[in-house]
Amino acid sequence: LGRGNRDKVQQFMTITGASEKVALQALKASDWHLEGAFDFFYSQPQISAVNTRHLEDIFNRYKEPDSDMIMVEGVSQLCNDLQVDPQDIVMLVISWHMKAATMCEFTRQEFIGGLQSIGVDSIEKFRGKLPSLRAELKDDNKFREIYNFAFTWAREKGQKSLSLETAIGMWQLLFAERNWPLLEHWCQFLQVRHNKAISRDTWAQLLEFVKTIDPQLSNYDDEGAWPYLIDEFVEYLTENGFVQRKK
Amino acid sequence: MSGGGPPRKRNFKIEAFKQRVELDPKYAERTWKVLEHAIHEIYNHNASGLSFEELYRSAYNMVLHKYGEKLYDGLQSTMTRRLKETSKSIETAQGGLFLEELNAKWMEHNKALQMIRDILMYMDRTYVPAAHRTPVHELGLNLWRDHIIHSPMIHRRLLDTLLDLIHRERMGEVINRGLMRSITKMLMDLGPAVYQDDFEKPFLEVSASFYSGESQEFIECCDCGNYLKKAERRINEEMERVSHYLDAGSEVKITSVVEKEMIANHMHRLVHMENSGLVNMLVDDKYEDLGRMYALFRRVPDGLSTIRDVMTSYLRETGKQLVTDPERLKDPVEFVQRLLNEKDKHDKIISVAFGNDKTFQNALNSSFEFFINLNNRSPEFISLYVDDKLRKGLKGATEEDVEVILDKVMMLFRYLQEKDVFEKYYKQHLAKRLLSGKTVSDDAERSMIVKLKTECGYQFTSKLEGMFTDMKTSQDTMQDFYAKKSEELGDGPTLDVHILTTGSWPTQPSPPCNLPTEILTVCEKFRSYYLGTHNGRRLTWQTNMGTADIKATFGKGQKHELNVSTYQMCVLMLFNNADGLTYKDIERDTEIPASDLKRCLQSLACVKGKNVLRKEPMSKDISEDDTFYFNDKFTSKLVKVKIGTVVAQKESEPEKQETRQRVEEDRKPQIEAAIVRIMKSRRVLDHNSIVAEVTKQLQARFLPNPVVIKKRIESLIEREFLERDKVDRKLYRYLA
Repeated sequence: LGRGNRDKVQQFMTITGASEKVALQALKASDWHLEGAFDFFYSQPQISAVNTRHLEDIFNRYKEPDSDMIMVEGVSQLCNDLQVDPQDIVMLVISWHMKAATMCEFTRQEFIGGLQSIGVDSIEKFRGKLPSLRAELKDDNKFREIYNFAFTWAREKGQKSLSLETAIGMWQLLFAERNWPLLEHWCQFLQVRHNKAISRDTWAQLLEFVKTIDPQLSNYDDEGAWPYLIDEFVEYLTENGFVQRKK
Repeated sequence: MSGGGPPRKRNFKIEAFKQRVELDPKYAERTWKVLEHAIHEIYNHNASGLSFEELYRSAYNMVLHKYGEKLYDGLQSTMTRRLKETSKSIETAQGGLFLEELNAKWMEHNKALQMIRDILMYMDRTYVPAAHRTPVHELGLNLWRDHIIHSPMIHRRLLDTLLDLIHRERMGEVINRGLMRSITKMLMDLGPAVYQDDFEKPFLEVSASFYSGESQEFIECCDCGNYLKKAERRINEEMERVSHYLDAGSEVKITSVVEKEMIANHMHRLVHMENSGLVNMLVDDKYEDLGRMYALFRRVPDGLSTIRDVMTSYLRETGKQLVTDPERLKDPVEFVQRLLNEKDKHDKIISVAFGNDKTFQNALNSSFEFFINLNNRSPEFISLYVDDKLRKGLKGATEEDVEVILDKVMMLFRYLQEKDVFEKYYKQHLAKRLLSGKTVSDDAERSMIVKLKTECGYQFTSKLEGMFTDMKTSQDTMQDFYAKKSEELGDGPTLDVHILTTGSWPTQPSPPCNLPTEILTVCEKFRSYYLGTHNGRRLTWQTNMGTADIKATFGKGQKHELNVSTYQMCVLMLFNNADGLTYKDIERDTEIPASDLKRCLQSLACVKGKNVLRKEPMSKDISEDDTFYFNDKFTSKLVKVKIGTVVAQKESEPEKQETRQRVEEDRKPQIEAAIVRIMKSRRVLDHNSIVAEVTKQLQARFLPNPVVIKKRIESLIEREFLERDKVDRKLYRYLA
């Protein structure tokens, strides 16, 4: 193997946590292009039957003694082992991979399916994967999916809307990544003026708002069919002089 | 010699002359001279001595022998010479005789021309067309035109004379119209171009500057009404002038000039003239002036729209002041009466002075619609007005009068944007009227319902009709009750129950209230009777809506019959067992809620002429430390004293807020229903279109707020009736 290719193998292994054998396989299949190798790797059915047993083991390590679920304590333990703060946004990404129905709860199916989707079969590999999981937030499409997923995931069971407190917490987490300058104002506005739960439509539309409207609101269209809560937010910003809108 | 046989045919020939026979040129000249002489004689009025036949034949011969040209040219030059002389004689005419001379000579010329034409008819018919020359008559006119009318000395003078005469007539002098007629007819005969170029055009120009000057003068010194009179007079004058001595085609032209100078150029100044302009005329009902203004302004472009615009802004301004003036708003009935009066006033103006012009009617309607809706209490007030009329205002009125008044009210109703608010109040007021039995005429009530139904559909009135039905049914029920139960009831108090179907009536939750025992007994008897025949129903006594008639005996033995509310009855009955009671006692015994109780006690103890209770201390307001005593010393001139408080009146602020809130709540489902209806049929629609459609669908009842519509859409998205399009945020999709 040439020096360049050897480096590529190393890089591949570090990023994907795969074994050298798998790395070589992927790189050869993609003609020694790293990008192509990643694509190849992630589209493969990852784990063979042998490894599935590993996954069961891992699940059993964290599950509740009297039910087939991983609950708060198990999650806490998992975070510990992964050396990650339970509030870390990477937990959201992981939950998304797992298609978890509710915050801080994983069914057997969800957990194992998630590990498979992420492509790991041990805690060490899992730990190694964390940077790449975090990196997924940078991808626009993935971010949107994760963002919209968050609404359902963070909801109380049986509720249609998201409680304001939880919503604000989620937003602060999510938009810290994106660096949205109006985040503070938005949260304050909601607490002062709205003080009610957040509907799904409002949640989804807010992302559009963050992505398309500039912080000075110069391209905000009053006739743009934005949810009324966002209309009121714009009013709030204008009234208090936080933005200078050119009329 | 031969004999015997038939005569032989002989060829008979007439041979032409062997040499050409020509007319002797001298003969031609001679003939011409004869004719020339004749022309002169004709012009000299000596035609009688001439022989028509001879002259005709001479002319005929000349033409026949190919001397047509000579004849024609000779005619032309003779006439020309003649006319030149005529011209001189006209020019020398002095002053006023100028026109007369011209006219006389023209008459002469015409007569002569006719004769000459007759004589030369053969030439006219043969030589003239062949040689493409102007026919004799026309030639004569052209020569007149060229040598008389267009002669330098006459041309200017003629025009000046005519214009001067017209000017003098305008200034009041009498002129010779017959002469004028003759002259203008002459110009027309010479050709419309002559009339127009040599007279009409300058005439119009001069008239324009005349009227421009006159209008300026008038407008400085006259008020609007008088100015318009003058303008009208001038227009009529010009039309008369045309009919007397100008060509008919000039009428339109000269009236346009007057219209432009006197009206169009001063339109705005006239309309806005201080103290006499349009607004003043409207205020003072100056029908004649207004009618004149309408007729005159109609003639000019934008005339009517100018009047209409000023009228509209005046109406809107006045209306706005009317509905926002706090003084006026104190008495709702007065307020509505004022509106009706204003409508009547302007209806009359439009019908009498503006010929019922539809565009003005529309302007009136749109103005009323504008300002009536500026005050959001208008629906309530209109309902109160109707209430007042139906309770007492229409007492003694004929059926026709009733119809007239109700129709006028309906006109105001139509202007309301928030008809659903009106419905709410109308229901409340109707309920009070029905329950207190205080309606002037059942027919009038029903007539109003019919009108509302015609205007808004049966849904608007179905509940109201339900209320009437309940009243009737209750009557029947009471009859039956007393028929069946009279022995059981004996001497107890007489009960009159109105059974109200929930949903039709504007009932509010009835707070508890302890009825006196005697009342309770008979109520219970009724309840068991009713439930006996109407299984499965539930009856709730509405103690806040009832009334009672009580017989009371006072200190000196005076007996009075008191008409009170149910609450008041409960309070008063307590005094059968005690002379004095504290507020707290009363509250405890009756359990009437505080605010109602205070109002109730106030009406029993603090109102002059109705104070059947005495309060200590004697303050105006009820406090929880007061004590109440039966007022032995109560007097009243009337035997029957009314103390009840169940009459419809203007709502207090908090009540108004509450009603408005209920209206807003009622609107939400209506808006949602409209959205769903629209989306169901359209499937996919953008936001602005939905708002427009919803507004259109609901505008017969109220004007929906776009923000509320948006909120309803979001609520429907929440409940998964609709969804946003994935790509275009402004688009919504119906979810089956």
